[in-house]
Amino acid sequence: MSRRELAEAVGVNNQTIGYLERGDYKPSLELAMRIAAYFDVPIELIFSFRRFEPVADTLRRAAAAGEQPQ
Amino acid sequence: MTLLQKMDRLVYATRLDRIIFMKFQPRSFRWSPLLVLTALVVGYVLMTKTSSWTDLRTYLIGALLFYGAFVVTGFLRLLGPRFTPTELHRLDERELMVKARAHAASGVVLATFTMFGCFYMATAGMPGLWHPRLPYDWVNLGFGLQALGLLLPTWIASWLEPRTVADHDN
Repeated sequence: MSRRELAEAVGVNNQTIGYLERGDYKPSLELAMRIAAYFDVPIELIFSFRRFEPVADTLRRAAAAGEQPQ
Repeated sequence: MTLLQKMDRLVYATRLDRIIFMKFQPRSFRWSPLLVLTALVVGYVLMTKTSSWTDLRTYLIGALLFYGAFVVTGFLRLLGPRFTPTELHRLDERELMVKARAHAASGVVLATFTMFGCFYMATAGMPGLWHPRLPYDWVNLGFGLQALGLLLPTWIASWLEPRTVADHDN
């Protein structure tokens, strides 16, 4: 999925999605809920007060444990 | 082809549509407003020093600097962070927040500037203190405040906006 597709789906500018990805912008509750609803996942899976672990670290840990990352 | 259709084609041929419909990515101007502000102040001082037309050359240089900076202010406003929604591009919640904060902060700066200006004018009768005397001085000061009112929100919004994210979709 492209940034533009998500931006159009939730009704914001492309740049706003870019800033969200980079952690430069804290969305309103409404926008956060719209994004969560779009992906059909709970909101806390996308937004958290704590920093998410980098994907590379998750993959590395999963590989070391000999399991497939989900 | 009617005249209106020809004019419409001309807009697209000259690529004016990019400006009219805001099809370009807004830019951040973090440092260039400082140059514009300097040009405004220097231009105003040069014009005021020679507003009795004693030195026409200096006055014209001042006017060129001042009104050149005034025009540049308009361009910075147009190309900088977006404050006006268009049919193709509505402002989202982040842009509305930046717009509100930038205008609120620039309002405070302008109000403070005007307040100190009033205090200064109250003492300007003292010998040696400059104050606008001629109508030209007041007119130019009015344009200067107008330019400041246009420039400050763009400048503040440029600092409020994070660095632009590379858009690979374009």
